[in-house]
Amino acid sequence: MIVDDHRAFRSICRLTRRQVCRVLRGLLLPVILLPGVCASDDGQPKTSGTAEASAAQTIDFSQHVQPILNKHCVACHGGVKQAGEVSFVYRDQVLPPDGWIVEPGDPDASILLQRVLETDLELRMPPPEHGAALSAEDVSVLRQWIAQGAVWEGGHWAYTRPQMPKIPAVKDVLWTRNPIDAFVLKRLEDSGLTPSASAEPVRWLRRVTLDLTGLPPTLSDRHEFLTAVAVDESAAREAVVDRLLADPAFGERWASVWLDQVRYADSRGLGADGRRTIWKYRDWVIAALNADMPFDEFTIKQIAGDLLPAPTIEDLLATAAHRVTQTNEEGGTDDEEFRVAAVVDRVNTTWQAWQGVTFGCVQCHSHPYDPFRHEEYYQFAAFFNNTQDVDLNEDWPVLKTPLNVADYEKASALQSRLQQQQQALWEAEYPFLNTPDHWQKVADLQASTNNRTRITVEQVDGEPQFHTIDTVSRNTDITLSASVPNSMEQLTAVRLTAMPLDPKTAVRDSEWGFVLSHVQVQWIDDTGNAVELPVSRLVIDEPAPFYNPQDSLNPKSNRGFAAYTRIHYPRQAALVLKQPFEVPDTGRLQVVLKHRVHILASFSLITRRGALAVSADSAFTDLLSDESILALRADVAATQKQIGAIKSVAIPVLAERPRHLQRPTHVFERGLFLTKAQKVQAGTPQSLPPLPSLPEGQAPSRLQLAQWLASEDNPLTARVMVNRLWARLFGTGLVATEEDFGSSGEPPSHPQLLDYLAVKFQTRDQWRLKAALKEIVLSATYGQTAKATAQAWQNDPANRLLARGPRFRLSSEMVRDQALAVSGLLSRKMNGPPVHPPIPAGVWKPFQGGDKWPVPKPDNEDRYRRSIYTYTKRSIPYPMFAAFDAPSREFCTPRRLRSNTPLQALMMLNDQTLEECAAALAEQMLSVKGSLRQQVRHGFLQVTLREPDDAEIADLLKLHDVVSSGDEDGVDRGMQAVARLLLNLDEVLMK
Amino acid sequence: MSFPNRLSVSAETFLRQLQSTTRRHFLQGSATGLGALWLASQASGSERHVPEHTADNPQSPLPPPLPAKAKRVIFLHMIGAPSQLELFDYKPELKALDGKECPQSFLEGKRFAFIQGTPRMLGPQYPFAQHGDSGAWVSDRLPEFAQHVDDVCFIKTMQTDQFNHGPAQLMVHTGQARMGYPSIGSWVTYGLGTENTDLPGFIVLLSGGRQPRVGKALWSGGFLPSVYQGVQCRSTGEPVLNIANPNGVTRNERRQMLDTLSRLNERSSREFGDPETLTRIAQYEMAFRMQTAVPQAMDITDEPKHIHEMYGTEPGKQSFANNCLLARRLAEKDVRYIQLFDWGWDSHGAAKSEALNEGFKSKCQQVDRPIAALLTDLKQRDMLKDTLVVWSGEFGRTPMRENRGGTEMKFVGRDHNPGAFTLWMAGGGVKGGTTYGETDAVGYSAAENAVPLRDFHATMMRLLGFAHDTFNYPFQGLDQKLTGVKPARVLEDVIA
Repeated sequence: MIVDDHRAFRSICRLTRRQVCRVLRGLLLPVILLPGVCASDDGQPKTSGTAEASAAQTIDFSQHVQPILNKHCVACHGGVKQAGEVSFVYRDQVLPPDGWIVEPGDPDASILLQRVLETDLELRMPPPEHGAALSAEDVSVLRQWIAQGAVWEGGHWAYTRPQMPKIPAVKDVLWTRNPIDAFVLKRLEDSGLTPSASAEPVRWLRRVTLDLTGLPPTLSDRHEFLTAVAVDESAAREAVVDRLLADPAFGERWASVWLDQVRYADSRGLGADGRRTIWKYRDWVIAALNADMPFDEFTIKQIAGDLLPAPTIEDLLATAAHRVTQTNEEGGTDDEEFRVAAVVDRVNTTWQAWQGVTFGCVQCHSHPYDPFRHEEYYQFAAFFNNTQDVDLNEDWPVLKTPLNVADYEKASALQSRLQQQQQALWEAEYPFLNTPDHWQKVADLQASTNNRTRITVEQVDGEPQFHTIDTVSRNTDITLSASVPNSMEQLTAVRLTAMPLDPKTAVRDSEWGFVLSHVQVQWIDDTGNAVELPVSRLVIDEPAPFYNPQDSLNPKSNRGFAAYTRIHYPRQAALVLKQPFEVPDTGRLQVVLKHRVHILASFSLITRRGALAVSADSAFTDLLSDESILALRADVAATQKQIGAIKSVAIPVLAERPRHLQRPTHVFERGLFLTKAQKVQAGTPQSLPPLPSLPEGQAPSRLQLAQWLASEDNPLTARVMVNRLWARLFGTGLVATEEDFGSSGEPPSHPQLLDYLAVKFQTRDQWRLKAALKEIVLSATYGQTAKATAQAWQNDPANRLLARGPRFRLSSEMVRDQALAVSGLLSRKMNGPPVHPPIPAGVWKPFQGGDKWPVPKPDNEDRYRRSIYTYTKRSIPYPMFAAFDAPSREFCTPRRLRSNTPLQALMMLNDQTLEECAAALAEQMLSVKGSLRQQVRHGFLQVTLREPDDAEIADLLKLHDVVSSGDEDGVDRGMQAVARLLLNLDEVLMK
Repeated sequence: MSFPNRLSVSAETFLRQLQSTTRRHFLQGSATGLGALWLASQASGSERHVPEHTADNPQSPLPPPLPAKAKRVIFLHMIGAPSQLELFDYKPELKALDGKECPQSFLEGKRFAFIQGTPRMLGPQYPFAQHGDSGAWVSDRLPEFAQHVDDVCFIKTMQTDQFNHGPAQLMVHTGQARMGYPSIGSWVTYGLGTENTDLPGFIVLLSGGRQPRVGKALWSGGFLPSVYQGVQCRSTGEPVLNIANPNGVTRNERRQMLDTLSRLNERSSREFGDPETLTRIAQYEMAFRMQTAVPQAMDITDEPKHIHEMYGTEPGKQSFANNCLLARRLAEKDVRYIQLFDWGWDSHGAAKSEALNEGFKSKCQQVDRPIAALLTDLKQRDMLKDTLVVWSGEFGRTPMRENRGGTEMKFVGRDHNPGAFTLWMAGGGVKGGTTYGETDAVGYSAAENAVPLRDFHATMMRLLGFAHDTFNYPFQGLDQKLTGVKPARVLEDVIA
């Protein structure tokens, strides 16, 4: 299904992209970007930030000038502090017409040069107490730059759209297998170095198999490959890569990489860190990667799948990417505080994962180095500020996701039908509530409660309103009574307006909401007797609320009409009487509002202010028997029933609030949610290309944001993604600071290679990861041996020049999966709820006792599933993963550090899972017919993929004999020791 | 392009540090406002302190950059936040207000976890007396500890900005309210390494029957390399995860296996030239040594009888008393940072087990003697002078009685109060017999010398020989440090 949708989806994307391009060419003339765009239009391949540019001839702003400014000036004249209103982050504050610091073409008239050359220490920049004077070379660079016209080259390289560079000419053409190699070799030749020899075929096979699938090759893979290599090495390699890319293990391996970015976990984090059922999203990621879903589509679905036309189950499921944020379930926590924290995390994660920019800085102040202003953070946050979710234990809104993927299509159709039917029903009923003519005022409103909650009535705009005073108690019943207009002959409906305590401030600072657990309408006669006026139906102001408002009529349910935990705006419900009540001459209307919900052990959700109105309109009574409305109600019920019949699991997803209930977004002063400054509209930073154009007056939504991220014009998305692929394969990205492509990050080691890969990814690869990966792993660069001299290691420990092949420790998932695979224990069962492999005693002590870790028995394959399926609890990470540097997924983790610790050794030597692997591997070796030597050789080959040499075999045999000497119980301890040793070999733990 | 001559984990760490320092040389500024905040968060012009561990041992011992008073830390955290008003912060005026409705001025603008409506004031539940030459007030709940007040410095005006347990505990140990940041112990072992090559440098001991709610996040290495995270040791069961050989594998056999493994790995090392391989060999050897050293250190049965009596220890049990004795043993073996968590101090009055008039009494009994014994023991071994002992909760408790749900509760308790709590320090260069800061008449908020957690962190770092603002680590575009982005100050008054 995913594959089928690609074509249609891509044409939508394409269209959008064309629109964006048109906008760019026609309209885009912001000062900062203009030079960059021109440079591309004149056909010159632009390679910003390249090491090759010669300082003596042309001064490049981002490469030569900006580092000087960043080093000496921006601490005081930057994004945060703009002393004297001068900032070297923004072009328009430096250059004419608005800036006055630099006169292009005239160094001597430029204040910048005057001040850095000033001999009076009182006036010199930087002031002596802040730093030394600029060096003669720095001054000379500034002088030349100004003399050459002070071209502000679109600022930092990463914010300028990548252009396809020319493939460089190299001397050793024969070494290169594809363009990647030309870029790498050029840099090596320029540094006077030569590449390393090719890795032995089996080493290459092991490397590429682990890299693409996260699993080691089997002995039959080895045999097949060696046979094919003997015929045609290049064809053999390509065939292997094609096979691996088609293996479903590919999706499992690369899903780990993506889940680090979107901070996926199966628990809620902060507070109680309870279980969260969201694994269907993990399965979606695996399926999308296996289907090679283009990365633009992958992006759009995760950011805004719910806003696509007629979204499918998968589209909705994809949005769970931003529902894995932490929730605070602890008693007494402020829901709004942690809802805001989740929004902030969504903003920061989106920037980290897709843009490689530390946008988090901008939450509190303008970015110190990069051209992002403080308010732009909140403009961006506005895209995420109107989803329905709040900091709820229930994780609402959730999507009923079929357990069986085969039911997705059917469920998709039903879900969209339900949404349409609910909308249609609401549109048919809501006008009755929303028409002012239907309603008449009440008079002499009186209010009382059944407990310590204090309440009073005041006149607001000529209408009586009740409101509570001070804080409120649990389980409050509010009894309201009022007289109805004298002229009123019949009563057909009562309108309840439930408001925030302070309606003026609640729009920006929402208040605790309410749940109307039960409502009663009565008539009190002169003697005080109450006559029940049965209510048949509630008509409310929202088409698909969390709680069914009709539950307010069910005394056994605590749910009902609600703003739920937060209220911003007055909310309304019409209580439609079962039959018209003939209003007597005397007596009063009485309405009882019962509140039974309190959350987080602390907060009572009660109506704090409100008003009543009455209707004599027969339209309400007619509504109850209106055939078209009854039919719509029946349709909704029927669809709900059909959905209910599909075995499903509820997964948290994004959903937008109805337009009339949208939250405004404000700038937070110093990033604190309690101090709100000006209101902002959704938007992206000025210094990057604009959003896709929209019809006049239409505000951009998350969908436009998603398209903006996934656009070819976005200078960062493709670069960040190909850099990520590179880093996972080589251990270090071309931009080593994967998390920071901004001007304080590290410049790329091979800028042209990065741009080549990025542009190719967007165009020829059509955003497909598999195509991008294929070219990299088939390159000569990737195929080099990792063997190098001590001197070479010392000169380039992180292998930035790529003069040798990659060699670094396997990820935690690979360490475990490899051990299971080579010992024959690994289950290849895919997908499904998280599993609970053996865990050391005493580790599993969750805060909530009900959260169990049921370890499957050895005959149950769930004991040996791939690591990606292991239950991920943030506060109790699986010990093996934690020891091997897997992040605990509270935040986006752009890259993992790789440590080398004694705890890893203890894990590999003594852990239950490794123990079972060693035993199984020993069994396997013993089952080989032949001599002990042959058995040991088999094990060695199985684990390392290479033939042991005589010395190695001799060492292992000796170990076997020494350990076995004491065997009495028929267990071959010697073989188990050999097996354990094999699993611990350095070359096994390393790629 | 030149590369630092560094390897392995140290290589990655060092590379990051280097990239960041060379990129940014911050100029000292006299800025005000937001800029000042941000600038203050950066290394304010001084050079960053970069611990340079040896290539094969990322925890190699290093001297601190400044003269240090404390060599190691024992941190006793009472999880749940014990009431300062029942232990150290004596408020006779609160007694006079007992049972009266809380004045509205206390309620305005305040956010509570559980208090509803208008609560009533609650006087101190236990009698107080003055102790020692310093005349420090301590309630009758801690009679043995009270004899040590002349070695103790009380800070009565600790403040935090979090009023829920999870975030507040994270604030105490990581300086941030969210998971994912390095804990103090990680910073310290990153900065100082450890002198004992057979034991982890940062050890965590738990008691009270439950884990802290945010679990490992309280001893996480955050964005620091994982080698600096705390290692939880247990007084029952396996002292460290996977420390014991699998069934049937003898120590001798393990030795044989490791010898063979080393030989094979040395061959790899020669073949590939990768320095990481040598580090791995060294780490496997350390693991082997830990297999003997950790169980030995964790086995308290070899302590003499009078020591067991002094602490009230019972070998084989999981208890705070056992953990205090273990803390001394580990300190003796030069473990750098020893973190104890004791659960069960959340005295809301919502259940008997935690109520001030019930469970709180037994909690006090459980900790009083062991803490006193720990201080005595460290002193008699001449270790108190360079061992910093810290006692704290994560926030304080209200002078109002909790009235959850707006009604009077069955048991007596107090709600969370971030505005004032008591923390004490002893040893490690702290000025004994002193009190810093004073709360208002009812102990609700700081009246003078408020101490935000970051100031305490800065002080602690100073005692250990670090300037808190230059000891930082680049992450997410910011020079991250324990004290966060707001300016922190060292409490010179509490340093001897």
